[in-house]
Amino acid sequence: MAYFLKRFSHMLFVLWAVATILFFMFRTMPGTPLAAFIDNTTTAEQQDALIRQFGLDKSLGEQYWLFLTNLMQGDLGQSFFFKKPVVEVVMEVFPNSVILTLTSLIVAYLFGIMVGAYLAWRRGSWVEGLGIPLVLTTRAAPEFWLGMVLLAFFSFHLGWFPSGGANTSGSDWTSSWQRVTSLDYLSHLALPAITLAIYLHGLPLLLMRSNMLNVLQEEFITMARMKGLSTWTIVIRHAARNALLPVATSFALGIGGAVGGNVVVETVFSWPGIGRLLVNAVSASDYPLAQGAFLMITAVLVVMNFIADVSYNLLDPRVRVETR
Amino acid sequence: MLTNPKTLLRAAFAAATTAVLMAGSLPAAAESGDEVRKLTLISRAQAANPQQFQGAELIAQAWRKLGLDVEVQGMPRPQQSDAVWYNRDTWDLTMWQMVGRPERSDPDELIYNLFHSSTAEKGYNFVGYVNPEYDTLVEKQRVTANRDDRKVMIDRLQDIINEDQVYAFLVHPLQTFAIDKTVWNASSTVVQPGLGIKNFWTYTNIEPLGDQKDMILNSSDELNAINPFYISGATDSWITELIWDRMMRIGPTGLAEPWAAKSVEWSSDSMSVTVTLRDGMMWHDGTPVTAEDVVFSFTAPVKYAPMYKPFVNGIANIEVLDASTVRFDLSKPNAAFETSTLSKLNLAPKHVWEPLLAALGEGESAESIREESRIGSGPFKFNRWANQQEVVLDANTDHWSAPKMERWILRIVLNVEATLGMLRSGELNFLSDYTGDPVLLIEASDADGDLDVVESVDIGFQYVAFNLRRPPFDDTAFRRALSTAINRELIRKAAYNGFAVTANSVVSPALSFWHKAGIDKELPTGINLAKSILEEAGYVVEDGKLHYPAGQTELFGE
Repeated sequence: MAYFLKRFSHMLFVLWAVATILFFMFRTMPGTPLAAFIDNTTTAEQQDALIRQFGLDKSLGEQYWLFLTNLMQGDLGQSFFFKKPVVEVVMEVFPNSVILTLTSLIVAYLFGIMVGAYLAWRRGSWVEGLGIPLVLTTRAAPEFWLGMVLLAFFSFHLGWFPSGGANTSGSDWTSSWQRVTSLDYLSHLALPAITLAIYLHGLPLLLMRSNMLNVLQEEFITMARMKGLSTWTIVIRHAARNALLPVATSFALGIGGAVGGNVVVETVFSWPGIGRLLVNAVSASDYPLAQGAFLMITAVLVVMNFIADVSYNLLDPRVRVETR
Repeated sequence: MLTNPKTLLRAAFAAATTAVLMAGSLPAAAESGDEVRKLTLISRAQAANPQQFQGAELIAQAWRKLGLDVEVQGMPRPQQSDAVWYNRDTWDLTMWQMVGRPERSDPDELIYNLFHSSTAEKGYNFVGYVNPEYDTLVEKQRVTANRDDRKVMIDRLQDIINEDQVYAFLVHPLQTFAIDKTVWNASSTVVQPGLGIKNFWTYTNIEPLGDQKDMILNSSDELNAINPFYISGATDSWITELIWDRMMRIGPTGLAEPWAAKSVEWSSDSMSVTVTLRDGMMWHDGTPVTAEDVVFSFTAPVKYAPMYKPFVNGIANIEVLDASTVRFDLSKPNAAFETSTLSKLNLAPKHVWEPLLAALGEGESAESIREESRIGSGPFKFNRWANQQEVVLDANTDHWSAPKMERWILRIVLNVEATLGMLRSGELNFLSDYTGDPVLLIEASDADGDLDVVESVDIGFQYVAFNLRRPPFDDTAFRRALSTAINRELIRKAAYNGFAVTANSVVSPALSFWHKAGIDKELPTGINLAKSILEEAGYVVEDGKLHYPAGQTELFGE
């Protein structure tokens, strides 16, 4: 219990520190939120009015205090640009980011785990000789390039998938659930998810492979072989289960990291998501939106980290003993 | 510190005349002032605006030949705005642009705001141009009702800008649009000078050929608001003008035409205008549009819509004459009133907006209201807006000018290549925002066969702005020399791939009535000419570095 409390207070401290850094970082960056508004016939008095409206006429300390007290009440403020609460703006596109990320993470990890385990088993064979360079190459390919190649081939050339967006123009749906489970949505999801999966699969694959190589050296595997168990049973039931732990952790962290959106993939495929939102918020100096969105991402990341830690504790008795 | 521009002007002219008379015969001056400091030319980053950045590089190359140390610095737009717009005393040179809008079909908005001394401190005149002669004339054209008289003044104003070379104008870009001619009847599009086929009239007029009756267009910018009292970016205004009617609209000729108004009648002294609403106009929720709504739409901006306030400032009083007629009394005559006010303000329903405005707190404006029903009276009704994805409008079949399409769907597509792919696959059938290389579009169109590409000269223009507050840019001769050194033809061909026309005026040739014909030929160019202008003005090149005329010190050196 003390362990949980300690971890929890760590979490709060990290969140406070990040919030503070974000607050000052955006305000000391070059640029002003007004810049996003001057393309129109802005006069001097309008500029002053905007400054007042954004609360930027107050001292930095005062602004910081307001920000913190509001934050404690769960209020992330109002976006300068969208003129509505930050939480609302973020939640509009958040599900799309989560769906894209989760889909590609699951595909990448299923593929990575299986192929990683297989490559470990076939160590030293031609399969490994071909497989590892191939994995490293696709892992190193820039996302935007990969995205454009897939787009050019599967969409422009073959016409199998749409070229962008999350739904066919003007399509109607009765509920969000119906929308995201529709064939239309899934066909729009396919290319961005594959691009991201190709980008992400390297880590679990290589991690799984090296863990497997370690596990396969252990005595209980030799024991299993001596018992005459089939290859399949040894790889899956004995070795893989043990090698999986670090991969599970990296999956949890992957979720945390990926909620931050994928600016590149979202831009290439015009996929609505939190990455695009952030880029816009930062370049338009929409302080509340930028710091609010980053803070939400940090929160998810910190929580996932916490869960990974705790689950590790539960899953692996050896870790549990050490923390006592 | 600023020298009187008028004196400067005379001096420059004297210098230029002598230059022509005595070219080459003068011995190089023995004495000279300080070396001119290193100059920074600000531009958008290469990735964001390759044409502008490449133009800046070409210009810097030319200026280096004059003995100047010039550095091009690319930066994102907000940073550029911050450096130039909000810190007016600290920059030297920047690439800048003005974009085309329907209301800019009347030259007043640009020719007044950009150069009138009253906007130098915080407004549009960010270069700090102060010329009393110009001020007087530009104020006078505003109150001149006779178009031909006004044209003479607008010509003269264009001349003054040319003589003073306040900006080094570069090009008016060509805009490219495309339609899928298997979906739309290509001959039913309407071309509006300076705006091309992407305009209100095309949207209400274009005829579908088959079952596809939805127009699917694209925007390469994210959208921030759809609000009749707020323009948050370029894309908003494409949408608001469809949902909300206006008393008048800028027609395909570039002139204001009665729209929601049945008639627009001016008093003989041009001090008041009586406007009568069309019969049977309805808001999208079925309630009638009344004279009260008109009054509301033109008075609410004074207090609640900062962006529209400048356009209603000249209205002294609005009088309701009967249920559908109102009279606007102006505080002084305004030649651009029809264009910049009657064609600009959106008619918003009083019953929806008045309670919302009343609930606003101190310092808040209509801009901070997110009214989701978006009821207007225009030819399109708001259906939905999915952020980062699309905006869907439905045709208002009850409108007197009901569109022939069923829905107008604006897709947000950030990837230029994907935009072309979508156009070819039919996911888009009207390319309304294309930021890529026009040659690629034309190649795609040739390969496809179903597309019709339409080009038009923009009302907007690209230019180099000099900061007139800081020497040597306060010297007309220096500005003229720099402008003369620029090879605009090279920029047109190399940076714009030929998709631009060279410019030397704030009034685009797209506005054929107002543009001073041949003004782009009134600026002879060439490096040698530029060198001789500098020499005549007393600038000296020593060891390859340009120095100020004798006795002048560098005030802004590092």
